[in-house]
Amino acid sequence: MSNVGTSLLIGLIGFMGPLDFVIGSNMLNRPIILGPLVGLVLGNLTQGIIIGASLELVFMGAISVGAYLPPDVIVGGVLGTAFAISLGKGVGAAIAIAMPIAMLSLAIGNLTSVIFPAIAHIGDRYAKQGKPGGITASLWGIGLIECTRRGILCFLGYFVGNAGMKTLLGMIPQNVIDGLQVAANMLPAIGFAILLQMIINDTVLPYFFLGFLLSAYLKVPVLGVALFGLIIVVVKLHNDKNKPAVSANGSVEEDIDDDDDF
Amino acid sequence: MMTMTSNEKKVTNKDLRQIMWRSLTMEFGWNYERQMHLAFAYMMAPLMKKLYGDDQKEYAESLERQMEFFNCTPQFVPFIGGVVASMEEENSKEKDFDVSTISAIKTALMGPLSGIGDSLFLGTLRVLAIGIAASLSLKGNILGPILFLLIYNVPAYIVRYFGVKAGYNMGTSYLNKIQASGLMDKFKDAAGILGVMVIGAMTQNMVVVKVVAKFGTGKTATSLQSILDGILPGLLSLVVLYIFYVLNKKKVNVLWQLLGATVIGVLLTVWGVLGV
Repeated sequence: MSNVGTSLLIGLIGFMGPLDFVIGSNMLNRPIILGPLVGLVLGNLTQGIIIGASLELVFMGAISVGAYLPPDVIVGGVLGTAFAISLGKGVGAAIAIAMPIAMLSLAIGNLTSVIFPAIAHIGDRYAKQGKPGGITASLWGIGLIECTRRGILCFLGYFVGNAGMKTLLGMIPQNVIDGLQVAANMLPAIGFAILLQMIINDTVLPYFFLGFLLSAYLKVPVLGVALFGLIIVVVKLHNDKNKPAVSANGSVEEDIDDDDDF
Repeated sequence: MMTMTSNEKKVTNKDLRQIMWRSLTMEFGWNYERQMHLAFAYMMAPLMKKLYGDDQKEYAESLERQMEFFNCTPQFVPFIGGVVASMEEENSKEKDFDVSTISAIKTALMGPLSGIGDSLFLGTLRVLAIGIAASLSLKGNILGPILFLLIYNVPAYIVRYFGVKAGYNMGTSYLNKIQASGLMDKFKDAAGILGVMVIGAMTQNMVVVKVVAKFGTGKTATSLQSILDGILPGLLSLVVLYIFYVLNKKKVNVLWQLLGATVIGVLLTVWGVLGV
């Protein structure tokens, strides 16, 4: 396929990413899903699946919680996968490419999002007149700008960047590429750390090590660990139900929320 | 709560289902000012038409009410939609209903529901889905992405489907009840246990740090990695996680963490300490 055609399809994947937000936030826009699509477009589905999953692990912490806006995983993930496949450089390169692109795209996104409240105010005007169609139009207006921005960035990035990326990656010595892979293997820990900070307290902390040790010594796969966890949770909830209720002021020690010691 | 002037229900199951379907748009049209408000108004608009459509002024006011700031875990939004539906229904029947309570309740629900929703869906279920799917995907198996979507979304849609009805039926009393019973905290802990166990396993599995440096030379050389594995397989993964945990706690920007890790990773590889 011609470079223009391929670039358009890559751009289309980027455009479709944010559409997930209008059909239920189903996580269809995550690298683990978009990676295989990019792989399909570039004729290497397997690499797309593998690189997509690796980027998913690296970008695991990049989720919007509250008002925090993470790096743009959609554009970073799509272009990172695309370049890594088309240049045959693998996962290490994908991460090295995806990260700065995701940051750049977030910065561009912050610029465009300045106009969004103005669009929302159009919705206010129609609401005041009792016309819900104007609200819907504002909703889609903002949403489609987001889709278009991602689509254009992915299209242009791939169309313009391919040759440049090739030269750039060609200049990097092999042991540095290996080093990027080594770094890539460590990076999922960032996502895990962010998540841990969100959910850890004294009650759940020992279970982190239980999961770790089950994997380290017994080689239980992740699904197995999850099933063990499910049994623990069921037993625990059952026991709690049979325990006499705790008085309102007598707090139970294990329920103290303390994330200071990890 | 408020007394009913008429027992006749205006909100039907069909209306509630419509709220559920329209809630799927929740993260579209997001903006810094009022975040998910456009989608929330879009979600409630048909019911407002049904409840207030006869009086254009009241109808417009009700639409404006739905345009207030809103932000919540998307999967829990139908529940809030159900609660708001029951309150708006009351308001449409009762002359001296204080509409500011609708906003107050909505705002009061957003916080706790986002807290439990984010930790349940983003912190636990998503991690579970990635953990199970990634091990398949990293081998190039297409089942990976498919499983990822199923594990995350089947519970998500169940929560939406039953959430809107629960919200409507139980109205505002529901949340006070479960919060008072401490069920919310128990549920959060349960989700937390499952989540951290999976993160523990994934840290051991997917955070790979391999030392290639050796002690001594030739045949007597001892691999440092084998010593470390003798102590605890994945010990260095744990160390790396701990470092990132501390950095996060100190609120070091994630971008710097990423750059730092990349630079250190590359340097240690070039120096022959770490390897692929």
